[in-house]
Amino acid sequence: MSELFFQQVVNWITLGSIYALIAVGFSLLFGVLNIIHFSHGDVSLLAPFFALSVISALGSVMGQAGSLPVLLLGLAVAIAVTGAVGVLLDLVVIQRFRKAPAMMALVATVALGIVLRELIRHLFPNGSNPHAFPRLVDGDITLAGYSVPLFSLAVVAVSTLSVGALFFMLNNTRLGLHIKAVSQDRDAARLMAISPGRIFRATFFVASAIGAVGGLFFSSYAGMARFDFSIDVGLIGFSAAVVGGLGSMPGAIIGSLMIAGLDTLVQAVVPNGASYRLVFVFLLVICVLVFRPSGLLGRTLVEKV
Amino acid sequence: MAHPSSQPSGNALSAAFIVLAVPLIGAGFLRQFLLAEDWRLVLGLLALFAVVLVVLERLPALETRIETAFARQSRLALLVGIVVVLGFPFALGGNTYALHLCVISMLYAVLALALNFQLGSANIPNFATGASYGIGAYASALLALNFGVSFWLALPAAAVVATIFGFLLGIPSMRTRDSYLALVTIAFGVVVHQLLNNLEFTGGPNGLVGIPVPELFGHAFSDPLVIFGQSLPPQANFYYLSALLVFISIVFAERLHDSRVGLAWNALRADELAARCQGINVTWYKVLAFAVDAFLAGFAGTIYAFYVGFISPDNFTFLVSVTIMTMVIAGGMDNILGVIVGAFLLTLLPEKLRAFSDYRILFFGVTVILFLMIRPQGLFPQRLRRYGD
Amino acid sequence: MGISSSAPLVLEGENLTMRFGGLVAMAEVAFTLKRGEILGIIGPNGAGKSTLLNIITGIYVPSSGEVRLEGQRLNGVPAHKIVARGIARTFQSSRLFADLSVLDNVVIGRHTHTKAGVFDAIFRRRRAKAELDAAAAHAEDLLKSVSRGLYAQRHRPAGELAQADRRRLEIARALATDPKVLLLDEPSSGMDDADTDALMDDIRAVCAQRPDLALMIIEHDMRLVASLPHRVMVLDYGQKLADGPYEEIRKIPRVQEAYLGRKATQHAGA
Repeated sequence: MSELFFQQVVNWITLGSIYALIAVGFSLLFGVLNIIHFSHGDVSLLAPFFALSVISALGSVMGQAGSLPVLLLGLAVAIAVTGAVGVLLDLVVIQRFRKAPAMMALVATVALGIVLRELIRHLFPNGSNPHAFPRLVDGDITLAGYSVPLFSLAVVAVSTLSVGALFFMLNNTRLGLHIKAVSQDRDAARLMAISPGRIFRATFFVASAIGAVGGLFFSSYAGMARFDFSIDVGLIGFSAAVVGGLGSMPGAIIGSLMIAGLDTLVQAVVPNGASYRLVFVFLLVICVLVFRPSGLLGRTLVEKV
Repeated sequence: MAHPSSQPSGNALSAAFIVLAVPLIGAGFLRQFLLAEDWRLVLGLLALFAVVLVVLERLPALETRIETAFARQSRLALLVGIVVVLGFPFALGGNTYALHLCVISMLYAVLALALNFQLGSANIPNFATGASYGIGAYASALLALNFGVSFWLALPAAAVVATIFGFLLGIPSMRTRDSYLALVTIAFGVVVHQLLNNLEFTGGPNGLVGIPVPELFGHAFSDPLVIFGQSLPPQANFYYLSALLVFISIVFAERLHDSRVGLAWNALRADELAARCQGINVTWYKVLAFAVDAFLAGFAGTIYAFYVGFISPDNFTFLVSVTIMTMVIAGGMDNILGVIVGAFLLTLLPEKLRAFSDYRILFFGVTVILFLMIRPQGLFPQRLRRYGD
Repeated sequence: MGISSSAPLVLEGENLTMRFGGLVAMAEVAFTLKRGEILGIIGPNGAGKSTLLNIITGIYVPSSGEVRLEGQRLNGVPAHKIVARGIARTFQSSRLFADLSVLDNVVIGRHTHTKAGVFDAIFRRRRAKAELDAAAAHAEDLLKSVSRGLYAQRHRPAGELAQADRRRLEIARALATDPKVLLLDEPSSGMDDADTDALMDDIRAVCAQRPDLALMIIEHDMRLVASLPHRVMVLDYGQKLADGPYEEIRKIPRVQEAYLGRKATQHAGA
């Protein structure tokens, strides 16, 4: 294996893990709400801006000395606040569309994403410009003769842990069982004294918080935070969830790895590939949807008549 | 208009009066709006418009009366409409900026009418109208720049190209629905934008420049238009051209809405499975909606390209599609008048409220959400059909 | 009123089997329907009644077996073409075009008998309009013949109708396709006895006007099942349990156990 090839593989897995963090949220929310929360990507990419705000606020108080704790605190606050924003959006906007036609919820959340992006642009100081975002983990480690960035290892480890925790939560905890109950049959769940509203809020928090981790990693990977990152990243995360099959967590992960793989491959192989990456990614999305309309692992829904 | 609505509505004279008054008042209002400089005046006019809407909604009898008047005197209405539209540029006192805004508003009206076939009639969320618009613009511009094709030939040719792409985009709709289909249209839009941005023959991010000015019988569209000794600014050429396109689009939209095709679209909007069980080939009608949308958008794209003279990929982004969608939703899905009003309102407002134009995109986003939450039927709700009159 | 035994077959099913993944929703069901005949289908929930309707109307493609309309195989023919060949249906949870007028709903039922496409609508408007106006006139006549009350409400949005009128409208919409076979999926569901009686009268009137129309009715209401159909087919767990006149099938112990009895105990418990 050549060094270059190995680097590409590392790159692929890193990117795939980041996309997966966002894609599982799309899939989870769809499974529970049965609507597309199109702005989930935009919510996720709010996190870097929250982190920057906290870091700059605390940094001015504590100075250089406290840089690592400040950084960690910033990340933690960003994740929690992003989760809260997800809940807030549900309360203010999305919950109004629970019973509306799917198209309305879809268009409303597309608009919601635009609003979030524009709010960052207008409310964050210098929001239109890119802001440098710290590399969360620096340095390399040598594994079997290849040098691997610690950052990539951290991304893969944290993603695996987060998604693993999500799986564990869904399968083994009370909340997880309630979430599953609501996603299968809202009314039956209500009869079992599970409040769907509470479950929706919990789901929004969990999905948005995991998305926030993905958003922070993406900014760190790119070295900057930009208000319009969420257009690409959000669309890719959504596409990954759709390609894998909305509602299926393993599907979301497979979809993310596929898209990240194609993304990396195109950039490595096609001349001027960086400019064409989205073209290839979305052609893949269109192809998958044409041949497998409910995604790779999605349930083929038989409409009840 | 202040007649008590209890009067028998058979009075042809009062019908004629209504048909004469309403377009004139509308045009007068639009003129004031276009020429208003002070933001307070703009807001005042907006408030007036809102009051009129509320009154019409509170007094359904008055609304019905106006409607019947137009239905009865449809020939007169057409005549009045044509005279008002033809005369309107003269009322703007040579204000080129106002004329320019009219042209842009009308192009958006065409795009909104195009999208209305899908979003309004058939409830298909198509986020790629902006892409079809761009395909039309690029196709005609490339024909003109590379092969010296005249505007008048490029216009239908570009519409055909856009329609072919519309059919292509429609193909996935045979298998996918709702959110999945929406993603396909978004993906299509992004792919088109990225290709325009990166391909060599489309000029990359710089786009295409130097698109020749159209000519008609030796009259270049860059020259002032002289009618009855009155000289109108060059923009008037495109004003009349776009007005003609709007007129054609309205005819298309009305005829399709009142036809078996419009009914089939409405049926699949309400219940796709029930529509299939009435013998409607749902797939075909969906693809058809995509094609009709692209056809009209292609026309609008061509006129835009030749009007502005240069185009770049950024004129045809996802945000343009969302803007068009906002117009349809705010104006009123499946209501032709509503969609046109929506297009004018949402084109003009950010322009007239300068302080506000920076927040234009935010404004569109908030508008969509608020309308969907509070008034999903839009300013002008759809109407039930009538037969035989 | 019996049905002549020499009447020709309109619709027949043979060895119909429907599997969803591992689940067998219908196994080896066969049925026949003669011209002018009314066939009732009963069976507990999940017995495969709706599955049968969905197979006949082309919404599902059977895993094996065959449906034939006047001898022509229907398997794999798309739903919208089956309508054109002469099979119309209603739905258990009436699926009207709620935001369109009552009249529009019926006009849409004329879809397979009208032809205008996009080109006609735009460039041959007169012709397209004449065709649609004729369809509207036909629809008005149909509404009148199905129910005067419904006709009077023809300009209201279908979504505003009362439950019984929704059923009537669904039947009128289905009749607008000029079917040879009409399939009714639980027409009386969600209606009280008085409404059900009125609906039964309307269905009888419809049949009297169209002596050739064959009907298949899925029903739970035993009064309706006892009086309306010429013949009743009993389904249970996706299999055919019995097939014959109501007076005969009600005596079969397994039928009583599988359906009538269970229904009776449900009533007792309720």
